[in-house]
Amino acid sequence: MFVIVVGGGKVGYFLARELIQSGHEVALMERDRVHAAQITEAIGSIVIAHDGCEGKYLGQAGANRADIVAAVTGDDEDNLVICQMAKHHFDVPRTIARVNNPKNEGLFKHLGVDEIVSPTRMILGSIEADIPVHELLHLAVLGGGELELVEAQLRSGSPAVGRPAGSLELPEGCSIFAVIREERALSVRPDTELRVGDKVIGICRTECEGELHRLLMGEETDVSA
Amino acid sequence: MPEANAAVFRRAVLALSGGPTDEMIVRLACELARPTHAELIAVHVVELDWTKPLDADVAERSEEAQRVLDAAEGIADLVHGKIEAVLVQARDLGAAIVDEAAARDADLLILGLPYKTRFGGDFAVGRAVPYAFKNAPCAVWVVREPMGEESR
Repeated sequence: MFVIVVGGGKVGYFLARELIQSGHEVALMERDRVHAAQITEAIGSIVIAHDGCEGKYLGQAGANRADIVAAVTGDDEDNLVICQMAKHHFDVPRTIARVNNPKNEGLFKHLGVDEIVSPTRMILGSIEADIPVHELLHLAVLGGGELELVEAQLRSGSPAVGRPAGSLELPEGCSIFAVIREERALSVRPDTELRVGDKVIGICRTECEGELHRLLMGEETDVSA
Repeated sequence: MPEANAAVFRRAVLALSGGPTDEMIVRLACELARPTHAELIAVHVVELDWTKPLDADVAERSEEAQRVLDAAEGIADLVHGKIEAVLVQARDLGAAIVDEAAARDADLLILGLPYKTRFGGDFAVGRAVPYAFKNAPCAVWVVREPMGEESR
């Protein structure tokens, strides 16, 4: 498989190195010439010392025959431009973008980036596993980013407590399918009554997360306040 | 003290560029190899840009690449030497030559260096020679083209 990695920071460097070790053909684009020379020194002559945001150079890197373009620079705008150009100008089958600001995730999806990776969201998810910052815990991203596996721990005062699961008017495209109660997993049936302490596991579309939160937990609290 | 007729090398890789130094390299290597029947591998690298896969059928179809190897074999015949001519496709000349020398377990790599100056008069050594100096596991010899009249 031929992969073009754009951005020679830590992520790009280690990504390229791992891909090479796995037997893939890799071209790494890094616009800083000094840094590009350092990477060449470390992993060989796979580095193209040009800006991957420019179509001309992306073409020189072989985007016309690339299977994947992974834009992993530290700049969301650059990553978006790179993926869009790869997708629409060079017909690259799969584009992957690093998204630093979680607020940009929707935009990237909307503009046709095939897969997004958000280190910020991943770290947030890890933190939330121990400290429920947003009360709705993100367990995994599914379906290329448009769906999320989430967990909500019901507390006294949660609007869902005492109600059968079937009576909740879940947003379209959302589903709750399991409850963890006293360290045991139970399938959710329409007559399953939700209790304080239940951990409700569900899948929801990213844009419905707020609505699901209100149904299960009540209004979201602004943690930044 | 080493013996006067001791083998200088047992296997050498000659990097052919298609330039004026090719003949010098082949002649020199054949002369040095003759007493000990050292093995000579003449390598011509066709650099491919990233728009083509490395296994694209380019070098074999290249008349220029064939001309370079044929010329080297012709020179070797003239001086009653024997070379193995090899065509390699790679992204980078220096890395390809060094890799070939390492893969063949050569104990000598000989490269040619055309006499070129940059705008302003600085001598241009290119990228392959410094790369080979730094990375080749074996000894490296460089044969520089004589200075032209205009440069003297």
